[in-house]
Amino acid sequence: MQPVVQFENVNKYYGALPAVDGLNLAIDPGQFVTLLGPSGCGKSTTLRMLGGFEQPSSGEIYLEGKAISHLPPNRRNVNIVFQDYALFPHLNVGRNIAFGLELKGLSSDAIHKRTMELLALVKLEDFAGRMPDQLSGGQRQRIALMRALAPDPNVLLLDEPLSALDAKLRQQMQIELKTIQRTTGKTFIFVTHDQEEALTMSDVIVVMNKGRIEQMGDPNELYSRPRSRFVANFIGQSNFLEGKALSVDGSVATIDWNGTAIRADVNGTQPAKDSPTTVALRPEALYCLAEQPQDRFALKGRIVQRVFKGAHTALTVDLENGAQLDLQLDPVALSHIGTDDIWVGWRERDAVVLAD
Amino acid sequence: MRPYFADLPKTALGAAYWLFAVYLLLPLALMTAMSFKDASFIAFPITDWTLNWYAQVLQDKQFIEASLYSIGIALATTAAATVIGVWIALLVTTEGIWGKAIIFALACLPAVVPGLINAISMRIFIRTVDIPTGTTAIILSHAVHAVPFVVIMVLTRLRSMPANLVDAARDLGADPFVAFLRVTIPYLMPALLGGMIFCVLTSIDDFVRTFFLGGYKPTLPMLIFAKVQGGMSPEINAMATIVLIVTAAVGLYAERLTRRSRN
Amino acid sequence: MVDTTTIRTRTAEPLRVPRYAGWIGKTVGSGLYRHTIGRLADSRPVRLALLAGVPLFWIAALHIGPIFQMGRISFMADYPPSPDGGSAYTLANYELFFSDQLYFVPFLRSLVFAAVVTLSTLVVVYPVAYYVAKIVQPKNRVRALLLLLIPFWAGELIRTFSVIMLLANRGAVNVALRELGFIDRPIPMLYTSFSLSFGVIYLLALYMLLPLYSAIEKIPTQLVHAAADLGASPFQRFRRVILPLSKDGIVSGCSLVYLTSVGVFAAPLLLGGPNTVIFPEVIATLFHSSNDKWPEGAAFSMLLLAVSLTTVGLFMRVIGGRSVRLM
Repeated sequence: MQPVVQFENVNKYYGALPAVDGLNLAIDPGQFVTLLGPSGCGKSTTLRMLGGFEQPSSGEIYLEGKAISHLPPNRRNVNIVFQDYALFPHLNVGRNIAFGLELKGLSSDAIHKRTMELLALVKLEDFAGRMPDQLSGGQRQRIALMRALAPDPNVLLLDEPLSALDAKLRQQMQIELKTIQRTTGKTFIFVTHDQEEALTMSDVIVVMNKGRIEQMGDPNELYSRPRSRFVANFIGQSNFLEGKALSVDGSVATIDWNGTAIRADVNGTQPAKDSPTTVALRPEALYCLAEQPQDRFALKGRIVQRVFKGAHTALTVDLENGAQLDLQLDPVALSHIGTDDIWVGWRERDAVVLAD
Repeated sequence: MRPYFADLPKTALGAAYWLFAVYLLLPLALMTAMSFKDASFIAFPITDWTLNWYAQVLQDKQFIEASLYSIGIALATTAAATVIGVWIALLVTTEGIWGKAIIFALACLPAVVPGLINAISMRIFIRTVDIPTGTTAIILSHAVHAVPFVVIMVLTRLRSMPANLVDAARDLGADPFVAFLRVTIPYLMPALLGGMIFCVLTSIDDFVRTFFLGGYKPTLPMLIFAKVQGGMSPEINAMATIVLIVTAAVGLYAERLTRRSRN
Repeated sequence: MVDTTTIRTRTAEPLRVPRYAGWIGKTVGSGLYRHTIGRLADSRPVRLALLAGVPLFWIAALHIGPIFQMGRISFMADYPPSPDGGSAYTLANYELFFSDQLYFVPFLRSLVFAAVVTLSTLVVVYPVAYYVAKIVQPKNRVRALLLLLIPFWAGELIRTFSVIMLLANRGAVNVALRELGFIDRPIPMLYTSFSLSFGVIYLLALYMLLPLYSAIEKIPTQLVHAAADLGASPFQRFRRVILPLSKDGIVSGCSLVYLTSVGVFAAPLLLGGPNTVIFPEVIATLFHSSNDKWPEGAAFSMLLLAVSLTTVGLFMRVIGGRSVRLM
């Protein structure tokens, strides 16, 4: 299957600063892809280069196999939904949506039909005659989306479109966007800095940092198998266990961590003996017992802090070997703990060796 | 909270305001009153009142011709100044143009040069390029006078336009011309209308430029001036009052619109 | 062709389904457009040329051109140049200005006159601007302003003419004074410096009002309240808070009024007399006499322009405190 979008060695410099640095990215058609990262990581720049609003300093961008870097935005078969919607204030809703259609030379009948179809998709048929300043934020967002879909592009770009909405509306829109993507079957490329949003909506997440791709994969993979410290920290929370690699046996690595031998999943790395190695471990992957278990791995420790967070409680535990770990326990698990002296452990496969 | 501004003698300031208002309006009120005087010379007091002067003026062929001439010039001036003004404003807001500050300063040059110098320099200029005095010269000088104001009005409005609007139009398939026509111009409309009304009114009112650049056909101000030199009669007042009322009404309406939309 | 249809909803509010301007699309989407104008639109050099061509030409020809030509001619001995081809670039015209009192005196008079007018206008208008900007209720401000702006649109000539009604021998003032028994014979007020000044201030007062009003309105009232809280008297509040903060308005208003009064033309024609000849009139006569005087007129105009612009520039620097930002 040919990728619908491909970036080949794309660089973008602003003066001497690289906003995008040696980007190589291939996106398969029909997916909901999220570009995720902190501000300044280059995700918006990448999106804008794809849309035609920025020119790459070097490299080439391919859309459906064709090179498009030299094409202006109106000649590309991509459309973009802006963060502030950018609805035309002097046109009503119907004409906003029809804008792209009018420029294609369709007949009035065809335009009318398609506009009403799109409005029906977001259940705003009655709003065709309204002006943008008469709409609420959520409604504007939907209209902006329909306007971008009207010319039937194969790739739709969304530049943090939900950031201006309040939490409840945001969640609702997330589901709607996902549904529309599934229904229309188009490739959606979504930019956000909110990792929860990315995990909820995406088929594929591309984590970016300082103009480069840190890791790319489906949400599960990124969450349970982060390859770098950055990804482990940016998505969800993580404990970082620093130690020295002792040995590797198949897919399991043994690491000397503060004097204790622990085991972790190799996670695609090849740690050399005695090399400094970091292991990432999610707080919720740790189990906590009142007494030393006989059937599984556990270390002795003492709870030094408890923070109640509603659905779970965050615990900080000082271990016998001198290190400290953060845990997350739900109320049921917490009820089994009596005093502050406890035993903590994890399954081998829940700890992963990081590549850096 | 104590209104601290009341400390400054509020009544004195209020009096200043009303005195000033009277000062501004009194001469015009007198001029209007005189237009109803039933006598052939201008003098107070007015004992007999009549509307005859208005009847006479409105039927006066010279007056009608001068009015039409003035309006025609005004429309041509507006067309030229609006197009050029918008064009300059666009140039000054485009990225990647060198010397934008200089271009803007030069565009505003006619506004900081005293009116007489503007007229004289234009007079010299048309001689050097073989344009005769007359309608074309007048239109050019009026347009040059109005351009700085159009540029500033349009620039202000243009600066408040979200950059994304044009990007969105481009993204949806519009080339730069179409985006300009279908997104930028509609957005600029309030400023354009204000600018156009300004052009019309300043053109009709203009005296010094027309004085130096005009040909044989008089505009309204030139006609009034000629009549004044020929001897004062209330007929002139009637003419002046008509012009006053029409231009003031249009000007106030436009001013109200722009201030409303700004607030 | 889809017409505008009306849909009635349950709320009985008619919603109109918009018409679509299909013809725009047909034009823009058509092959012909795409291959001609569309191609042009894509090329950045073409766009740049189109964008900059006309404006730059206009500015060069009509904004710079006239001043440049005026300067050029001011250095010529004869205009039009005499046929024997003597290039005759000379400073004689400028020398004439400094040597002949006939020219020098009105010039100074113009500058002094303009300065006096500017100052008087400032003093007269400032309280009014303050009143409208700060004391009048916000909802009445537009109306208060509009009342004052009524004369603004009437035009130079008409407003100058109306002053005659006031000041003539049988004008309102004289007649009123006579009726009231203060005088027996009319005071000749027209065709004097007084009438000229009165008329010019009358014309220019509004040019001072608007910048002052804008500037004063922008001063946050909290600042004056804060000053009062800290113990400032009304005069101190004015001198140390309001006046400095309205500086920008004062500078623009004064510059505008000064520049305009230096070049005022209709007023001296109608309201001035033989003793009040100011420079614009001098220049004007040079142009209405035989052609040979054009270079002198041009030289004098250049002088007037240079001096007035320099004065205003200096004023802006000194009072404005920093260089004027034009953008």
